[in-house]
Amino acid sequence: MALLEVKNLTVEFGSEDKPFRAVDSVSYSVDRGEVLGIVGESGSGKSVSSLAVMGLIDFPGRVTADALTFDGQDLLGMPAKRRREITGKDIAMIFQDPMSALNPCFTVEAQIMEALKVHEGGTKKQRRERTLELLNQVGIPDPKSRMTAYPHQLSGGMSQRIVIAMAIACKPRLLIADEPTTALDVTIQAQIIDLLLKLQEDSDMGLILITHDLALVSEAANRIQVMYAGQLFESGPADSIFAAPRHPYTQALLEALPERSEGHDRLRTIPGVVPGQYDRPTGCLLAPRCRYANESCITARPEVRDFNGRDVRCFYPLNDQGQPTGLTADMATGENV
Amino acid sequence: MLGFLFRRLGDIIPTFFGVTLLVFFLIRLIPGDPILMMAGERGVDAARYAELQAQYGFDQPIIVQYFDYLMGVFQGDLGKSFVTKKPVIEEFLTLFPATVELSIMGILFAVILGVPLGVLAAIHRGKWIDHLTMSVSLTGYSMPIFWWALLLIMFFSTTLGWTPVSGRLSVLYYIQPTTGFMLIDTLISDEKGAFISALRHMILPTVALGTIPMAVIARMTRSSMLEVLGEEYIRVARAKGLAPIRVIMVHALRNALIPVITVIGLQVGVLLAGAILTETIFSWPGIGKWIIEAMNRRDYPTIQGGILMIAFLVMGVNLIVDLLYGIVNPRIRHKR
Repeated sequence: MALLEVKNLTVEFGSEDKPFRAVDSVSYSVDRGEVLGIVGESGSGKSVSSLAVMGLIDFPGRVTADALTFDGQDLLGMPAKRRREITGKDIAMIFQDPMSALNPCFTVEAQIMEALKVHEGGTKKQRRERTLELLNQVGIPDPKSRMTAYPHQLSGGMSQRIVIAMAIACKPRLLIADEPTTALDVTIQAQIIDLLLKLQEDSDMGLILITHDLALVSEAANRIQVMYAGQLFESGPADSIFAAPRHPYTQALLEALPERSEGHDRLRTIPGVVPGQYDRPTGCLLAPRCRYANESCITARPEVRDFNGRDVRCFYPLNDQGQPTGLTADMATGENV
Repeated sequence: MLGFLFRRLGDIIPTFFGVTLLVFFLIRLIPGDPILMMAGERGVDAARYAELQAQYGFDQPIIVQYFDYLMGVFQGDLGKSFVTKKPVIEEFLTLFPATVELSIMGILFAVILGVPLGVLAAIHRGKWIDHLTMSVSLTGYSMPIFWWALLLIMFFSTTLGWTPVSGRLSVLYYIQPTTGFMLIDTLISDEKGAFISALRHMILPTVALGTIPMAVIARMTRSSMLEVLGEEYIRVARAKGLAPIRVIMVHALRNALIPVITVIGLQVGVLLAGAILTETIFSWPGIGKWIIEAMNRRDYPTIQGGILMIAFLVMGVNLIVDLLYGIVNPRIRHKR
């Protein structure tokens, strides 16, 4: 059984009768020692789905799922107190902007020791020793003197290391990293990712790496989940997705990578933006931006289906040559919208 | 830290000159001659009038009078009251504890009630509890003190008879002032029931005086709290699996209080201004009532001295608030 099992997770905001689905029936699972990469543009529901896993979606947000289990325990059904015992201990999360993730009023030491106190107890001395050990583990130079530092005295990279130390303090079995490097310098980014992967390997954690950096997941993740406008568009093993994307959106994302634009005058882009609450297409959510979209894409919404061992949400998944399949002859000839 | 303290103390000097200048000239703009006031209805003949003028120095040019006054102040001499002939500073010190006691109670009332109300409103944002607290605080803020105080007296003292109408202590008791603070003096005295009496006298003036600061603090706490609750570190704190109460009381409130403390400091000035009205209405023997009476009699030295002392007090409180600010907010502490 997988460590984290998510089945048809839906997160809705707004009124009951006209809700906005930030996350729409997303399913995935993460196992011990596995790295799952979740990719997608801004607004694709990556963060919201992981906040739902953490139990951090507040009213008026509504979280529903056919199954949301951690190590066999139903997260949605359990009382709030029991859930908090899991959150922060067994499942931990790292957030995007380390500079705002630390409370400006408390020292580094106090913030790390707090999680330890809540979940593991022990004496203050033990907690302090463990904190020092953690700071060493995340590669903070001169950790003793950093213990009593306040967040405003730390650089971004340093803060992110502290945030990571805070997250792994109670030896979580699943770590969710929500764009952990977006706010950092390029040179620091690689260091932080290396650190995360090393920690993941050493302790056999499950790791969910949320990012919009495809190059990053290609190196780090075992499996990849492509999300768009709250929906799962494609999922499968990382290397095979990179070798042969099945969904037109994945294909377009890959083509937008600078290294794949060699020989072109310009970087290739995907025109338009992710639809928001008020401009949802009636058919496939990608239809207005998809180069292969036709009449049926505009009128009907595709379901996720199995295609060559990959989950794909598309009427015309791509073949190995990157051409849409299943188009009837007349549709393939120039009825593209 | 020390440098900061000296800089702030340096700021007090120009403020001091400003206050003396304003007070000295403004009260002389009020119509009414202090000598004629003292003479009363029978009046005074021209020769005696001139004699008195010379005695009080009113025959000098006003600039000279001002510098004479300043020189006195520098030597710690605030002059003597025209009415009681006692040194102003002496009278001030006798009455001051009553005002301080009332002000402390007022600010305590405001903080103890205002901060939790603001927090409550913030965490129940948009629900009835939020609307209720905010409309109550807006009403409190808009209420003129004198009217509010009269309403309180009419309802609680006259109609219900729960509290005394005025004064600091029932006439049944006699307390020798040791600290000047009635609550403390009655507590350490042997008179049974005196403390309860002092406490009951305290209630209405405290409420009347503390209402406006309470309303301001509640609104400030609410908006500051709302801002902090939207911060990322609050989400991080929740992601640690902390209980909601700990997230709110430790992680959010500590940050939310930073601007609130500034407001509390500013409210002390409002409080002292309010004390003048409150003391007059409740016959509270403090400096507020004392200054009002001095104004009616054109008792220049008393008014000047009283206002100067209040100005110093407000400056002192603001200095304390600034120092406190550094303790609460580590970002400021380390900048020095």
